Amino acid sequence: MTEERPARFEAVYRQTYGQITAYAVRRCAVPQDAADVVAETFAIAWRKVDSLPDGEQALLWLYGVARKVLANHHRTDNRRRARTVELDAELTDLYAAAPESGIEVEAVARVFATLPDDDREVLALVAWEGLDREEVAAVLGLTRNAVRVRLHRARKRFARALAEAGVRTDRLVSTEGTL
Amino acid sequence: MDELETMTQTLARVKPGEPGGDPDGAGARALLAEITAYQPAERTTRRWRPRPRFALGLALAVTAAAAAVVVPSVLDDSGTYTSASWAVTKQADGVVWVRVTDFKDATGLSSRLKDLGVPAIVDLVPEGSQCKEPRAQHVEDVPKGLYHAPQNIPGVDRGWQMRVNTKLFRPGETFVWTITPLSGGGSSTSTILMKDPVAPCELVPDDRAEKLIEEFARSRSATGKGGLLEGYPAEGKPLEEVRKELDRRGLDSAFTVLPGGRGENLVVVDARQDSREGDRFVELLVKTAP
Repeated sequence: MTEERPARFEAVYRQTYGQITAYAVRRCAVPQDAADVVAETFAIAWRKVDSLPDGEQALLWLYGVARKVLANHHRTDNRRRARTVELDAELTDLYAAAPESGIEVEAVARVFATLPDDDREVLALVAWEGLDREEVAAVLGLTRNAVRVRLHRARKRFARALAEAGVRTDRLVSTEGTL
Repeated sequence: MDELETMTQTLARVKPGEPGGDPDGAGARALLAEITAYQPAERTTRRWRPRPRFALGLALAVTAAAAAVVVPSVLDDSGTYTSASWAVTKQADGVVWVRVTDFKDATGLSSRLKDLGVPAIVDLVPEGSQCKEPRAQHVEDVPKGLYHAPQNIPGVDRGWQMRVNTKLFRPGETFVWTITPLSGGGSSTSTILMKDPVAPCELVPDDRAEKLIEEFARSRSATGKGGLLEGYPAEGKPLEEVRKELDRRGLDSAFTVLPGGRGENLVVVDARQDSREGDRFVELLVKTAP
């Protein structure tokens, strides 16, 4: 139904815009990159509007697209994007509000940045986007079991790297065993 | 929730559970308008656009349209020029709305657009033909907001409408529209902003289908050895069936419809993969079949 497409797309766009911008801002170092990711993600969603799922699934589907866009970001730098000045400005505001700071947080951030991309993404989807295992599986295109294994390994590596960096890990190490 | 997760949470620039941007904000609205100014790719002839996909210079739309009854042109009370074929309305702010519901009176539409400040050439091109390219250099930096690509008319099941802001036209540039009524009852319209001078439309046989086939053939086959659809001969199968297989394999896809076909059903002609779209992306070339 061609006439329904813009309305349907706009509904999904409005419903997910806050979460997709948050997703991009949490993962990009500068607002311009985040704006690119947001613009490209929604542009792809519009191109594929006929395969865009309804309801809650739409958000997971968009996270999956955003993840690929982010991964391909360097490869596609020469592409012209639908990004606008207004969008850049809006996302820049989000960068002004700095995340929590403190010596320990900075140390954790440094360690987190050294983890493999796949580890970071699975940890972040759980901690930042608040997704459960099944939802992470939908975003990453994996089975729930594969997500469970991947998350377990990522947490183990994260805990070990924190310990090596001297971040107090007494309780962290014990949580490993409870997984 | 454990400490590892809590620690990860403290790293989030936008706090977990909180939204980033506001969908009612200027940024969100501008982006939405920018994106939806184009027809979505699926079920349109995306491949007819040059890359990059979002070049503003060219927009193409395929809209369904039934044959219309021809009635004489009239100037109605609201100042709208109408004929059976089209209606052009100009607002005080310089915005012109064009509605085309039938595709026979290209000359009348062309001259009326000129009267209302839209420097446009409208050519009617029969199915199976195209204007000889290139007719002129295409404008790459189309002024933002100059026009939105043809859209369906709400509540009307044929034709299309588009919005043109005449105040944004620059001297030396002309809007070139070519309209091709399709035997299946629809029409294919292209709206391209070109630099003057624009050559008249010299009809030549339409080789866009062949070019599309050639362009596809240059990408890697998806059904060949080691391809994403290895072991699944997609060619000749109905599109819906192939898309089920793509879903089953967790692959993304887009498809391009070959011009010139007849019928309602879409059948796959070729399946290729293009790493520029991602590692799990298949592009299908399809044609209409009875």
